Amino acid sequence: MITRRLGRFFDERLGSAAVLRTAFQKIYPDHWSFYLGEFALYCFMLLVATGVWLTFVYEPSPRDAYTSVAALGRNDPIGYLMRQVHHWSSVVFVAAIVLHLGRIFFTAAFRKPREINWVVGVLLLALASLTGFTGYSLPNDALSGTGLRIGISVALSVPFIGAWTSNLLNGGAYPGPLLLPHIYTIHVFFLPVTIGLLLGLHLGMLVLHKHTQFERDETVVVGRRFYPDYLLRTIAALGATVAVIVALSSTVEINPIERYGEYKEWLVPNPAVPDWYAGWLDGALRLGPAVEWRILGHPVPAVFWPGVVLPSLALMLVIAWPWIDARLTRDSAYHDVLVPPSAAPWRVGVGAALIAAGVVLTLAASDDEQALALHVPVIVLVWLYRLAFAFGTLGIGFIAAIFANEVHVRRARRGAESERVVVLKRNEHGGFEEETGTPA
Amino acid sequence: MKSALLVTAVVATLASAGAAAAHANPGVVGLLAALAFAAIAAWAGAAAVLLEAPDDCTEPRHRPASSDEGDEIVTRAGVFGRLWAGVIGALALAGIVPLISLGRRARTAGGTAWTRGARLVTPEGRPVHFDDISLGGVTTVFPEGHVDAPEAAAVLIRVEDNAMLTNHAWAPRGNVAFSKICTHAGCPVAIYRRADYLLYCPCHQSEFSVLFGARPIAGPATRALPQLGLDIGPDGYLIARGDFSGPVGPDDWNRPA
Repeated sequence: MITRRLGRFFDERLGSAAVLRTAFQKIYPDHWSFYLGEFALYCFMLLVATGVWLTFVYEPSPRDAYTSVAALGRNDPIGYLMRQVHHWSSVVFVAAIVLHLGRIFFTAAFRKPREINWVVGVLLLALASLTGFTGYSLPNDALSGTGLRIGISVALSVPFIGAWTSNLLNGGAYPGPLLLPHIYTIHVFFLPVTIGLLLGLHLGMLVLHKHTQFERDETVVVGRRFYPDYLLRTIAALGATVAVIVALSSTVEINPIERYGEYKEWLVPNPAVPDWYAGWLDGALRLGPAVEWRILGHPVPAVFWPGVVLPSLALMLVIAWPWIDARLTRDSAYHDVLVPPSAAPWRVGVGAALIAAGVVLTLAASDDEQALALHVPVIVLVWLYRLAFAFGTLGIGFIAAIFANEVHVRRARRGAESERVVVLKRNEHGGFEEETGTPA
Repeated sequence: MKSALLVTAVVATLASAGAAAAHANPGVVGLLAALAFAAIAAWAGAAAVLLEAPDDCTEPRHRPASSDEGDEIVTRAGVFGRLWAGVIGALALAGIVPLISLGRRARTAGGTAWTRGARLVTPEGRPVHFDDISLGGVTTVFPEGHVDAPEAAAVLIRVEDNAMLTNHAWAPRGNVAFSKICTHAGCPVAIYRRADYLLYCPCHQSEFSVLFGARPIAGPATRALPQLGLDIGPDGYLIARGDFSGPVGPDDWNRPA
C-alpha cells in the first residue's frame, strides 16, 4: 500500500515506473566470474559505511591521530569492528578489483566498444590502491609512519616537481604539521569522491554497452532477468561479501597498531611490511640499482626509477592494452562475445608474465626475512629476484602460453570429435554398417 | 526452511547489537553479525535457485555509434572550435599559477637542531659520557633540549680508538655518530652489526660501513650517512662540533648533496 503510493508519487513527477520496469527487465548473463566486480562494489559500500563512522572518532593531527585510533581497542567492540572491517574491506576491495581486471583481460572483454570502460576500471584500481595507502597511513603508527616517509621520499625524487609535491603535502618540509590533515582530506574526500564518480561512469557504460558473455549469438544478450532472479543472486553476493569480511575482521586481527607503537621518525619496527597491494612497490625499491644520476646538475635519486618510473610504465601499459591488443590481433571490430582464455595463448602469456612480475616484486619485499630464514646474505636474494624479474617472468609467460595453446588444441580436437556424426544403416543381411560420405 | 534463514538473520542481528551494547568480546559481536549476513546470502541464493527462472531470456544489442545525421552543424563550427581551444588553453595555463603557489612554502633551511657545543643526550634526555658506551655498543642520540627533533636523530657507536679510517678527529675515543635517517628513502637506520662495523637499514637493506664514514657498500642507497663531528667537553660528556657533515635524508631535485 505505502510502496504503491510512494511509487505513484515519484512516477507522476519523474516517470520512474518506466525506468524501473526497464531496469527490472534487464538481462544479466550468468557466470561465476561475472560476480568479481560485484564483490568489489560491495566492498566499496562497506568501506564508505564504516569510513563515515570512523571520521567521527579519528583526529587528524600528528599529536592525537595515534591515540584516537588506538582507543578503538578490543574493549570497544563497535570501534574495534569498524576499524577491522574497514581495513579488511580495503584489502579485499583491491584484491577483488585485481581479480575482476584479470577476468576482463583473459577473456578479452576490453575490446571495442569497451576500451573506455577498461581505462576507467584501471584508474579505479590505481585510485583504490592510493586510497588504501593513504588510509593505512592515518593511524600514525610506527609501521605506517615509516611507509608514509618512504612515500614522501619517492615523491621528492621526481625531477622538477618533487619538492613542490612534498611541500604541498607537508605544508613545508617533512615532517610538516599538515601532513596528516592533508592525507586525511585526500583519503576521506578527494579519492573516495573520485572513485564514486568513476564507479558511476563504469556502471553507466556497462548499462550502455550491455554485458559481454561467452559463446552466444553476437546480436542478443542471453541470461537471467534482473527481477526477481538476478536481484536475489546479487543480494546473495552482497550478503556473502559482508559475511566473509565481517567474519575475517572478528577472527583475524589486521594491522594491530598497538603492537607497533606510535610513529617516531627515528624508530622502525623490524620487519616492516606494507599492505599486500603495496608490496610490489616496496620490493621494487629493494631491487632498484644504487645509482644517483645528475641531470643539469640536479640529482635524480635512486628511488625515482623503481618508485616512480616502473609503476608509471606499468600503469601506462595496462591502460593502453586494448589498443595494443587491437594492433597485435589486427582486429578493431565490435566484440560482445568473450573468448575463452586459451583461444589466445599469447595473451595468456602476456598476462602470466605481468602477474609473475608482480609476484616476484612482492616476494622481494620480504627478502630480508627470507635471507634470515635461509641463512644467505640479502644481496644473494636481491640478485636472484633481479634475475627472476628480468628473465623468470618471460619464462613463465612462455610456459603459460604453451600451456594455454595445449588446452586450446585439445579442446578443439574434442569439439571436432563430438561434431563427427556417424550414421549407421541396416543392410540387407540384418547387420549394421557405417554410411560413407557426409551426412545431410 | 527459507523463512528459518530469515529468522536466523533477524535473531543474529539483534543478538549482535545486544552483545555490542553489553561490551562483549568483539569476536562474538562480529561473528553474530557475519552469521546474519551469511543467512541473508543463503536465503537469497536459495530463493534464486528455487525460482527456477529461465537463464535464456534475451534482449537485443545496439551499436553505440550515432548516425551521421546533423553532422553539418558541427563541421561548420570550425572557427568557433579553434577560438574556444584558445580560451580553454589559456584558462588551463592560468590555473597552474595557484597550483604552484600551494607547494612553494620554503623548506626549513637545510639544517637540523645540532649546533656547535650541543651535548648529546639519549631519547630519555640523559647526557652521554665518552665512556658510557661500551665497545661495539650503539645508541640513539639527540641534541640536548631537542629530543625527538625532526631529522636530528643520530646513531652513536663506539668503535676501537683510532679504528676510524676517515675523520679521526670527529671520533674522540672511538665515539662516532651519524645521521639516523637513511639517505635512500628516509627510514631510520636502526640496526648495527658490530662484527663487520655495518649500519643496516631495515626498510630496503642498505648497508653503510661505519669505519669508512658510513659510506654505502650494499643495497640501494647512494650517499653516505652524514656524520656528526664529536668532541669531548671539559666535563667528559660528548658534544657536537656543529651540524651534520651534509644534508640529512634522501636527496631531491632541488637539493644537491
